[in-house]
Amino acid sequence: MLISPRPELLAGLLTLLLSTALWAQDEPLVLDDDVSFDPDFGFDEPLFDEGFADSDDGGVTWLDNFTVRLSQQISGQINSHGVTLAQGFTLPREAETETNRFGINLRYQNPFAPGWLLQSSAQARFYWNEDYEYRAGGNRIDSEYRINELFVQRSFGQRSVKLGQQTVVWGETVGNSVLDVINTSEFRDLTIIDIEDARLNQMMLVWDYFGEGSSLSSFINLYPEFNPPAVRGSPFFFEPQFNLTDYDRDDQWLFEIGTQWRKSFEGSDIALMAAYLYENQLRYEDPVSGVGDAVGRKNDFVLLGFSANRAIGKLLLAFDLAYSHDVLADSFNFPGTGNLASPLNLQKDRIGTSFGFEYAINNDQNISLGIQAQKTLDENSGLQPGQTLVNEGVSGSWLVRYSNSLRNGDLVLSVTSQGDLDAESLLLFVGADYRFNDNWSLNGQIISITSSSDSPLVYFSEDVRLGATLSYSF
Amino acid sequence: MRTTGSVRFAAALLLAASCTTAFTSYSLAQALTGQEIMQRVEDYQRATTDSAFNRMQLSTCKFGVRDSRITCAERPRVMSLESVGKNYGPELKDTKNITIVLEPAAERGIGMLSYAYDDADRDNETWLYLSALGRVKRIASGNSDDDTEPASVFGSEFTTEDTDTGKLEEYTINLLEETTESDRAVWKVEMIPNEERARKSRYARTISYIDKERYVALRVEMYDQYGKEVKRMLASRVEMVNDVWVARSLTMMNLVTNRLSNMAILEIHTGIDVDDEFLTQRTLTDVAFRETELQQLRAQVE
Repeated sequence: MLISPRPELLAGLLTLLLSTALWAQDEPLVLDDDVSFDPDFGFDEPLFDEGFADSDDGGVTWLDNFTVRLSQQISGQINSHGVTLAQGFTLPREAETETNRFGINLRYQNPFAPGWLLQSSAQARFYWNEDYEYRAGGNRIDSEYRINELFVQRSFGQRSVKLGQQTVVWGETVGNSVLDVINTSEFRDLTIIDIEDARLNQMMLVWDYFGEGSSLSSFINLYPEFNPPAVRGSPFFFEPQFNLTDYDRDDQWLFEIGTQWRKSFEGSDIALMAAYLYENQLRYEDPVSGVGDAVGRKNDFVLLGFSANRAIGKLLLAFDLAYSHDVLADSFNFPGTGNLASPLNLQKDRIGTSFGFEYAINNDQNISLGIQAQKTLDENSGLQPGQTLVNEGVSGSWLVRYSNSLRNGDLVLSVTSQGDLDAESLLLFVGADYRFNDNWSLNGQIISITSSSDSPLVYFSEDVRLGATLSYSF
Repeated sequence: MRTTGSVRFAAALLLAASCTTAFTSYSLAQALTGQEIMQRVEDYQRATTDSAFNRMQLSTCKFGVRDSRITCAERPRVMSLESVGKNYGPELKDTKNITIVLEPAAERGIGMLSYAYDDADRDNETWLYLSALGRVKRIASGNSDDDTEPASVFGSEFTTEDTDTGKLEEYTINLLEETTESDRAVWKVEMIPNEERARKSRYARTISYIDKERYVALRVEMYDQYGKEVKRMLASRVEMVNDVWVARSLTMMNLVTNRLSNMAILEIHTGIDVDDEFLTQRTLTDVAFRETELQQLRAQVE
């Protein structure tokens, strides 16, 4: 079914966003001199008495442990164009609405007894007319529910133990650290571009030991999972030759294990880490019989890492170093794409680094840069004549973020630019977050993608996406 | 990360409260100079920030004037904070402070740990924990006493400059007159920054009205380089808390943007037993530990 584009609606949202931003500009207000300099300038003292009254009441109800966010999001691709994939073959890219969904996010945090904590977060999504999930579901309103976090924590003495669905984050470089590979991620569509929003929780046992100025944090992932394939209908979904399924565990017990030692010095933090992991991205192979589902192959490897930061005035330097032993040589892991590279079934070692800086231009403006680079060691060994690796030489990506906070933080404008080191793709994200009050906020975003034909992003080249999300939190 | 810019200086919030406090025992009969008065105020500040446990409410709104009285022209934005601090160092001039956001819901649980060093050669240190980020993050905040321009504290009309203390040697301080403010006998003290300080300051001159008996600034006027009053702070609810005079309600009016912020110190407790481990990064990540320690702190003050 051909869906009629709704550029007028999206343009309206953009207008609303821009007008909000303009309205929110700081404008000096000159008060009447009589007010400014009146020595009897009065103050309505009871104005804030309510706070004192509340404090006397005390008392915490079970509802106080909940944080709720309701949101309505709409976004779409607004630039009708064609992408030339091969000579004589152009893929039409029509303007269309991609998301039109209502979301409920719940977070629950309850320290139910001394030294104990129960924490959970969950989400529900309702897909309205013209959302890609609506279309993929046969043009009917669909819904989805998911528990993200669910763990219980026990802290005693210098130790803490957490059991349940949770995340473990390693690395110092924000956004594209080579060490941030413990949890899987899901970039379901282009409204999510930050790893922080895409990270998926997993069933883990995590225990920490807190020493003087240092800590030791270890984990066992009791049920390792893998990056889910793109959802049917989403912008990242392309009809594969064979259906991509979950990994068939076949009664195997899989686990991941790792540990990190972290120490703080004045002006700096460092960490050393080691882990036995599975690559988050499965490699899919065609079924042997030529019919049925694609076969997902896992790959285990060993990760050794080092990370450090150094604060120098308003400058924060970050550095991550990763050595991966026995990773699949043909793997590539671009957000939202399945690993469909030609299988070589070769395990190799890889060294990777991510480094960058964050700089506070002033109290309202920040800029950060992160560069990630990886190289497979001993590239040519084991290759057949004519074979090449997917990523030869040094490959990686860079990310630049700039943010400007206006009106005492009520309005935050941000620009994120992301690309690969070969300069074959560029993603530009412009966002604005405006907080009307403690409950209501509006987010707007524009995403533009430019890509050469050699990049996996070629399908999105010249796409321009516009989106807005209205949220109510309490 | 909306909160980052403002939370870098959250430790200053507590300082703002203590800026206007002093012991009642200093009801001096002898004549003091402006320098001595302000020094006296400063000398007692640390007593109110050491081993302190506080709950604060920060409200911000557009204001209007009705019948010569100030009132909010909109529903105030309210932020609730809980803060624990302790002084360290040979002269107890270094401060470790942790501040946790209780409300609004969207920012609940954000925690910030700050180590502020008195030594100008040592940069202050700040760590932040955001659940979305999933880890503790060091924030490069520099030293607020150096070249950092004044910043809004938690998005309010209070800035780090308003809450900053010390460095009295960088000001020319004049005792202008003895007068009354809010029916209290006060010293009217003028502070003019020297050339070096003026480069970092948004104010060319401030005038403080110091309660002669309680050493509390009941009113502070801030003027720009053109002699125009740009901000005014009013203190009220001056109460004796744990043998310390405290202005539990501070209101900062920005006369340029027509916005005001009120900091209400709902609870202030000093001299409590604070576990050194509570003022470490563990408190940011280990919620079970944090809540247990907070319960113990609360039990001390109940």
